[in-house]
Amino acid sequence: MKTPDAAGIAPKQMPTPHRASAFWKSVLFRHETLLLAVLIVEWWFFYTYGTTTNRRGVVVGFGTWDRQFDILRHSCEIGLLALALTPIILTGGIDLSVGSLLGLCAVVFGHLSQAAGLSLPVATLLTLGLGALAGGLNAGLITGFRLPPLIVTLGTYSLFRGLAEALTRGAVTYTDFSPSFLFFGQERWLGLPVQAWMFLGVAVMIWFLVHSTTAGRSFRVIGFSPEGARFAGIASNRQLGLVYVLAGIIAALAAMIYTARLGQAKADAGTGYELFAITAVVLGGTSIFGGKGSVTGTLLGVAAIAVLKNGLATLPSVIRMNAAEEMAGLLTGCLLIFVLTATTLSGSVLARVRRWTLRARQTGASLP
Amino acid sequence: MTLRITRFTLLILCFALQPFSIGLAAGEKLMVALLPKSKGNAYFLSCKAGAEKAARELGINLLFDGPVDSNAAKQNEIVENWITLGVDAIAVAAENKEGISTALRKARKQGIQVITYDADALADARSFFVNQATPQGIAHALMDEAARLCQGTGEFAIISASLTAANQREWQKHIELRLAEKYPSMKLVAVRPCDDLKDKAQSEATALMSAHPNLKLLMAICSPGVPGAAEAVKQAGKVGRIKVIGLGLPNENRRYVKEGVTESVILWNTEDLGYLTVQAAVALAEGKLKVGMKRFVAGKLGEFSIEGDNILLGKPFLFNKDNIDRFDF
Repeated sequence: MKTPDAAGIAPKQMPTPHRASAFWKSVLFRHETLLLAVLIVEWWFFYTYGTTTNRRGVVVGFGTWDRQFDILRHSCEIGLLALALTPIILTGGIDLSVGSLLGLCAVVFGHLSQAAGLSLPVATLLTLGLGALAGGLNAGLITGFRLPPLIVTLGTYSLFRGLAEALTRGAVTYTDFSPSFLFFGQERWLGLPVQAWMFLGVAVMIWFLVHSTTAGRSFRVIGFSPEGARFAGIASNRQLGLVYVLAGIIAALAAMIYTARLGQAKADAGTGYELFAITAVVLGGTSIFGGKGSVTGTLLGVAAIAVLKNGLATLPSVIRMNAAEEMAGLLTGCLLIFVLTATTLSGSVLARVRRWTLRARQTGASLP
Repeated sequence: MTLRITRFTLLILCFALQPFSIGLAAGEKLMVALLPKSKGNAYFLSCKAGAEKAARELGINLLFDGPVDSNAAKQNEIVENWITLGVDAIAVAAENKEGISTALRKARKQGIQVITYDADALADARSFFVNQATPQGIAHALMDEAARLCQGTGEFAIISASLTAANQREWQKHIELRLAEKYPSMKLVAVRPCDDLKDKAQSEATALMSAHPNLKLLMAICSPGVPGAAEAVKQAGKVGRIKVIGLGLPNENRRYVKEGVTESVILWNTEDLGYLTVQAAVALAEGKLKVGMKRFVAGKLGEFSIEGDNILLGKPFLFNKDNIDRFDF
């Protein structure tokens, strides 16, 4: 069997000195390297063109700490969903229901902590439980009935949103959350926005799960070849169950962060977030067919989109046109196509170079 | 070689950094940001037209941005964007009262002046609310127009959205007060709910016309009710004999107004709303408008009265055959 993902499993083997150049070549041509370069260029560009001083002489725009923290705060929820989706997409699955689940969890959390008057920890636990339950429903349908994840989660995508709208009759908005809860979405702790710490925690956890555990390795194997995984004795159903339930829990966490950030819970929370999250994952180099990808890539993908979206709104020309949102959509699309094309092209160029060097070496060796 | 590359890079950097100083804040112009509920909505585009007029007269930079759909989360992100852009004043039509208030409070904490228009935020999140219409103002405009069309005598009926909705009851109360006070020979014969549906308004209007043969006027106080009532009158062939007026948007009623079925549609002048909002935002940023003032002079539109922290746009606007084509929302 072919190694499903050289990038994901290989880093443990330290390059021996004579393989050092090959190691650097593989780093240089990695998808993540390209994304990092894109991110640096974006950041530098917006820092240069999006920073200015206002009439009171204060530096404003992209190059301020407030702005950088805003980027973190605004990308936390979609970032969490992207982290949740990475293991799922690695297994060759998809979860379209995470955005709707975010909406459902937000209104349920709102109801529990407001109308039902439960304390914050209890409401939080119940909401996380609901997320796990919803993820479990996806997992059960996918593994139990062998239904395609796309179909199942398309169903629950409507189901969860519908439930959220039914619970609130589309009209109730929960507000008046306590300051101790709003702290998690609006304040800073140890210098960073509070939710950034939670995001970091989840990122480390997912990174560890995907890259340093047997479970993580089996995700890729399942995505690369479901049959092969079965023959290899991998308990596919259990692994699939794990990734979907985990996604549900993370979506619930994202729902509470969203609620804390805005100070409101409404049935339309997180509409369309699933597509932004999938975009970030795919931009991060994870194959939509499964088997290949990395958490680092997803994080870079989230950052590249977030910086682009936020940075565009600081460019004077974009501001004058009042078209930040439209430009962000357009350029995210261009970025995705550019990055994926570039990686594919560089991959084929690299393969050709390798063939040439190999041929040269062979002909050289055959010389007397 | 390395030196050449370094020099080249520096040169590029110099060129790249040049626009650094000529950003948005070119000159000493004040920057005011206007947030609609959704930016494609013709109602808010009309507000924007008025806002731009005020911006030109005052010589300020006007930013106008909002969600493509009516999305409360995006409204917050846009306001937070403006905060770090360092604008001088922000004027907001709130999609969600509490949600937007968190962002607006943050703006005020940074010394940015905040006012609301069209839909208010929480009182502690802004200095003033540019109030487009008080219930009393709307009720009086409707009742006075009805009396004018009926020459002060006769029967009329009201079609409302529902009998329980707070704003509807408020308007109805003020209509009845005005009626009792000024028009003793007019008679309100019925109030029927249409559940905010045009079809229901049409059938209710038909029923009202057959139940009250002396009916002279139908007054709809919810926006789907106006075209609904007009359609009923038109189908009954009573155009001209039974007049239709109501509270609504010009576009929904344009056809009936032009056909002469609906006499007049009452709302506020959205362009003036945008104009007044920007004037107030600028005056606030320049320290000319302060809490506690009773009057405010807004450029070419003249004087407006202030009640508490509400700047009143004043009398509602009557859209009729003569002026309706000037408005598109």
